Amino acid sequence: MTNTIALEVKNLNAYFGDFRAVKDINLTYHKNTVNAIIGPSGCGKSTYIRCLNRIHEEVEDASVKGEVILGGKNIYAENADPVEVRKHIGMVFQKPNPFPSMSIFDNVTIGPKLWGEKDRTKLEEITENCLKKAALWDEVKDKLHQDGTSLSGGQQQRLCIARTLAIDPPIILMDEPTSALDPIATVKIEDLMNEIKKEYTVIVVTHNMQQARRIADYTSFFVLGDLIEHGLTSDIFTNPKEKKTEDYISGNFG
Amino acid sequence: MKIPYSKQDQYVYTALRFFSLVVVCLLIAIIFQLFMASKLAFDEFGLSFVTDDFWNPVDDEFGALAFIFGTVVTSILALLIAGPVSVFVAIYTNEFLPKKIASVLGLFVELIAAIPSIVFGLWGLYYLAPFVKNFLAPFLKKYLGFLPFFQGSSFGIGILTAAIILAIMIIPTITSVCREVFKSIPNLRKEAALGLGATKYEMVKIAILKPSFSGIMGALVLGLGRALGETMAVAMVIGNNPVISSSLFSAGATMASVMANEYAEADSELHLSALCYVGLLLFVVTFFVNLMARTIVWNNSRKSKR
Amino acid sequence: MKISRKRALKNYFFYTCLILSSIVVIIPLFMVFFFLLQKGGSSLSLDFFFNNPKPVGEIGGGMKHAILGSFYMVGLGSLIAVPLGLVCGVYLSEFGKGKIASLLRFTIDLLTGVPSIVVGIFAYLIFVVSMKSFSAIAGAFALSIIILPIVTRTTEEILKLIPKHVKEAGLALGLPRWKVIVFIVVKGSRSSLMTGIILAISRAAGETAPLLFTAFGSMYLSYSPDEPMASLPVQIYNYAISPYDDWQKQAWAGAFTLIIIVLGLNLFARFYFVRKDIYRSIKKLFTRQTKD
Repeated sequence: MTNTIALEVKNLNAYFGDFRAVKDINLTYHKNTVNAIIGPSGCGKSTYIRCLNRIHEEVEDASVKGEVILGGKNIYAENADPVEVRKHIGMVFQKPNPFPSMSIFDNVTIGPKLWGEKDRTKLEEITENCLKKAALWDEVKDKLHQDGTSLSGGQQQRLCIARTLAIDPPIILMDEPTSALDPIATVKIEDLMNEIKKEYTVIVVTHNMQQARRIADYTSFFVLGDLIEHGLTSDIFTNPKEKKTEDYISGNFG
Repeated sequence: MKIPYSKQDQYVYTALRFFSLVVVCLLIAIIFQLFMASKLAFDEFGLSFVTDDFWNPVDDEFGALAFIFGTVVTSILALLIAGPVSVFVAIYTNEFLPKKIASVLGLFVELIAAIPSIVFGLWGLYYLAPFVKNFLAPFLKKYLGFLPFFQGSSFGIGILTAAIILAIMIIPTITSVCREVFKSIPNLRKEAALGLGATKYEMVKIAILKPSFSGIMGALVLGLGRALGETMAVAMVIGNNPVISSSLFSAGATMASVMANEYAEADSELHLSALCYVGLLLFVVTFFVNLMARTIVWNNSRKSKR
Repeated sequence: MKISRKRALKNYFFYTCLILSSIVVIIPLFMVFFFLLQKGGSSLSLDFFFNNPKPVGEIGGGMKHAILGSFYMVGLGSLIAVPLGLVCGVYLSEFGKGKIASLLRFTIDLLTGVPSIVVGIFAYLIFVVSMKSFSAIAGAFALSIIILPIVTRTTEEILKLIPKHVKEAGLALGLPRWKVIVFIVVKGSRSSLMTGIILAISRAAGETAPLLFTAFGSMYLSYSPDEPMASLPVQIYNYAISPYDDWQKQAWAGAFTLIIIVLGLNLFARFYFVRKDIYRSIKKLFTRQTKD
């Protein structure tokens, strides 16, 4: 069954200066699943997910210890290149952030373009494909050369997802992708996650427990940088093993 | 051809650092050159250069007091004229005018900053100077003639005209900084003052002017920094006569104007060096004035953020 | 509750001051324009643009050499200062920590506040002294010292407006940092960067003091960088303080031309803008000489 493992996290610790924000995490993610990370705010869930594609270390004073195994290789190994790593592990952020003064088309294709794809028809193909996967194609197909920032918030976020899909990473991280969106846009993004898990592995941080329940196959519960519990979403929500998880889920703290 | 990405970033970073260092080193080299060029005059006259008021290229005797005097008097006078006007304009545009008219007035004020110094000089020479000679000077003499500042006859060009031109030129600087400072005051405070039954004037006094006092000071010092170094407009209307006179109607000269006038023609080495010495003094003074302004404005913005 | 007479009077007086000041401020602007139009407009002719100066006494002649000289030196100065300024601005905004960065920031702040006449001395000491002659290259160098700090500061301010998460999104696409900076951050801000650059150039185009004893001026058309070269502002200055009527007229025509070039560039740059926030942060740099 090893071939179903998408990502393996071993003894992962994240620091801001001397402060240890994420403590000794050990987790395994399987291919073609949606994995939610929940927990009270400030619990280190964002920091944790940012360690998985080495974005965390771009923050000043930040550092990481531990291993993250992708396809048999540790992305934190001495000879691993963070830039290569990020090509295989994409990320969608909390706020929709299309690139400024770039058309929708440019936004989607900038990844492949800068990775060396020059063929125009190929790029157009990628654009159509990814926008379709991101359920945005029908809304923007007539205005591909408009500025990306002219779209609504929900559309922008789907554009960002399409942009990530364009470099075709097997794993996609999402850091509270719906927290800046209205409920209708949120539903669309949630449907989208369900759709793309057929091809990708999704790891998503969410502040919304109901969302985790709706979309995730597995759920991890974090408190203050500790992994309290990880398991099938149904188990976590109906039959939590830990008292803390139960308290959080029933709204007693958080 | 493939360079690892982390290496690529490192090369770019190194290149950026290299160019930055080039700029830094260039400035250091220039300042060093300036010191070296002034050395001859410094050895000859020492610090008394600053306190002597003779400037005689024919006999190679130099003292810069008259220029320092001219610079200080014109700048201070300009500040006295421009300061209140700028603060009023900033208040008017920020607090009273409807947005559209305010932005038009704001644009006009900024356009003043865009007019080249030489154009102001030309205008000053041909229009402001005659105006001062024929109207302003007689008027001031009639009503304030008992003061030593307004005695003697005016030929149009002189300290007063230079100060007026300078005032016009620094108004945009002061106005713009004041507007930024006033903008940082929360609306709530203004409304609170009005809610207490204050008139608009009292509101401005209590809620705007008082808390932004240090910011206004910073703006004024910045304006001063500009006025000190302004060259062409002043050189064209001040008369370029290194004398110290209590009358604002008399001709004068500033540190910047003497450089503009004599640099290209200076043939003795000592004369050149003395001009460099003047340049060095001006450089040092503007440096400290700007530093002071920056400190004040910076402290102010930090305070208002709290 | 009635406001006491004294308070009402004070309020009234205050209003008067506000309105008066605002009028006083724009009067000189309009007077300058009015006289430029009147005097400069009437002295303008095709000769002015297509002829070089003629000897004193002969009517006619123009400032072709000075206009071209200005373009030459401003162009050469921008060629040095704009790329260097962009590079320094990128360095300050993207890697703005550490000793070298703070040294650079200090240098740029210092250069912003240096009076333009002192900039002229700088260029004089570097070029004229060593080449033993006034030269266009010295003038261009002086102008580049005017342009450099403005471009650097505007670039830094503009690039800082790009939110951090946008840069992170670029990194998350698996791009090396320099590609993120060049293709996303800088390219995404290109229109505002252009505006900053044009404003800096328009400032340099109007400068006289740095050219007085670097490029010096000349009465002939010349394209060689190691010879003195005329420029519009210096030519205006020389003609304005001359005793000849014809030259003074030409000075007005020159001033008219200069202001059309400078304000034209300035207004073009301003209205090129779409985004207000960037506009404001640049505006600050141009009316204020230092950093807050």
